[in-house]
Amino acid sequence: MAKGNNSEYKKMIDKQYSDLMKHCQVQMEKIEKDLPEPKEDFQAVLKEHGVSRRDFIKWTSAMTAALMLPPIFRPMVAKAAENFSRLPVVWLHFAECTGCSEAFLRSSYPNVDDILLDTISLEYHETLMAASGYQAEQNLEKAIKDFAGKFICVIEGALPRGLNGKYLTLGPKGKTGIQVAKEVTSKAAAIVCIGSCSAFGNIQAAKPNPTDSVSISKALGISTVNIAGCPPNSVNFTGTLLHYLLFGSLPTLDSLGRPLWAYGKRIHDDCERRSHYDASEFVEEWGDKGALKGWCLYKMGCKGPYTYANCGKVRFNDAISWPIMAGHGCIGCTEPAFWDTMAPLEKPLDEKTYGGGEKTVDNIGIALTGVAVAGIAVHAVASGARHSGGKK
Amino acid sequence: MEKIVCKKEWSVAMRINHWAMALSIFILIATGFYIANPFTVSQGDTVHKFLMGHVRYGHILFGVFLVFLFLWRVYLAFFSRFHADWKDFFAWADVKASVEQVKFYLLIRKDAPEHKMLYGPMQSLAYIGLMFMVFVIVVTGLILMGAGYHAGFTALCYKILRPIENLLGGLAVVRYIHHIFTWFFILFIVVHIYMAFWYDAVLKQGTISSMVSGVLFEREKK
Repeated sequence: MAKGNNSEYKKMIDKQYSDLMKHCQVQMEKIEKDLPEPKEDFQAVLKEHGVSRRDFIKWTSAMTAALMLPPIFRPMVAKAAENFSRLPVVWLHFAECTGCSEAFLRSSYPNVDDILLDTISLEYHETLMAASGYQAEQNLEKAIKDFAGKFICVIEGALPRGLNGKYLTLGPKGKTGIQVAKEVTSKAAAIVCIGSCSAFGNIQAAKPNPTDSVSISKALGISTVNIAGCPPNSVNFTGTLLHYLLFGSLPTLDSLGRPLWAYGKRIHDDCERRSHYDASEFVEEWGDKGALKGWCLYKMGCKGPYTYANCGKVRFNDAISWPIMAGHGCIGCTEPAFWDTMAPLEKPLDEKTYGGGEKTVDNIGIALTGVAVAGIAVHAVASGARHSGGKK
Repeated sequence: MEKIVCKKEWSVAMRINHWAMALSIFILIATGFYIANPFTVSQGDTVHKFLMGHVRYGHILFGVFLVFLFLWRVYLAFFSRFHADWKDFFAWADVKASVEQVKFYLLIRKDAPEHKMLYGPMQSLAYIGLMFMVFVIVVTGLILMGAGYHAGFTALCYKILRPIENLLGGLAVVRYIHHIFTWFFILFIVVHIYMAFWYDAVLKQGTISSMVSGVLFEREKK
């Protein structure tokens, strides 16, 4: 590229970013005006948890990079984090195990992401709230009324459609999950689905799916932001909410509703064991020599090549580890219907079996080829007899 | 004395396309099975090993060849100046001729039925099936390739084909379909090679050599 073009290009990029910055500042002012004061001072909370100012600055750099923004946005990310608890959140639980909430809340050494989630202004969260029965119902109604069009609706869990939705009834009024979801989501500013259950149906929707469970978007016919995973990473959730705070809009999504900044590449693309894959170094059985050396888990059924997620980059539990680092292959939990499409989970895909768990596609292929060859042999001999001697 | 004349059957483009496709498919099957079920190279240091990398390189290279060979073959089917054969792919639509052809194959009928078109009815069915198989394997292949490479032509293809990936149910399903279709190719190859030899032996017109020389031999009728 010529030098002149280069500077022009740089100017264009600079202009785009300065426009984005202005948009961001306007947005932040709007939030500070519109939304209630934070209940706690975020910096004080950080201090309480033993997170130094320096750690916080480091976190803003990492989060800015994760959101694919240039470093000039660091102060804005810090500001958004301070304003994080202004954002009213209604957290709904449907057909699920609460594992996502657990995964977010139960870190022994909480990092900034976890503390952010601790300070989040939860207007309604079935697992965490003190209220129960009619009182809880009142809280929900009040939150929807007070913050209509402003709150973020976070949903954990799929919606069963069988028996008119009666496989899942909630609360003192015995409403079905679908009714509750419709009431709340219709007033929400944005709907964020946490976990593969609400995003894609997950295990409830796996074959044979007796309760006819489906994802939120399918059950209600709406578009949602899907933070897929079983459980997903807290970074992917906080990052998405920060993006909403920063720009007043949701991040760019892929065709399945997952934020591209987090789900834009496959596990396989950023895997720390990838070099062993290319070098043909595979773990052949659990605990063998290759496993000790940290070789590729492809032959142990790793589904990293078929799975879009950033687990390898952000890791879990205070970034200590993640499944492949721990020595087990990826099971593909961020993909739709992964219990069905990724099975068998600890064997390569082509070892999926048919006919009482005996025959793989390769067995069937070999058998059919054998039949074809045998048929050819018979036909050849018969043809020899039939067409012998005579000239055409 | 009988007089034997040469009848041109296959254009040069068609023959080159045939053998290039055959070569690509054989390499793709071999490399494909390695990628599906690789063996471990235990000896030596990781830095000096790159077997899976090389195999995947070969697979992708010949896969892209196959994409262009397929597009070329479809072009020839419609616009070949020697003989655009797209109509001949539907010879099986003639039910009566199909029945006669099956009788001939099952050795019930001894003399070969006349072909009204370039391909026999069963042959046309196999070839249109092959075209479909190449199409599916090429599309699934481009999706699997595009998932790992994020630039250039591949990324463009992937952008266009991503809805198909979602429709099928994700990369895992795409990869499984890719694997199943490999077996259809193997079955096709077994039967195709046998039928070519069988025709050569029964009709004695030089079916095998026609794919190299382009001509069939015919006895001139008196």
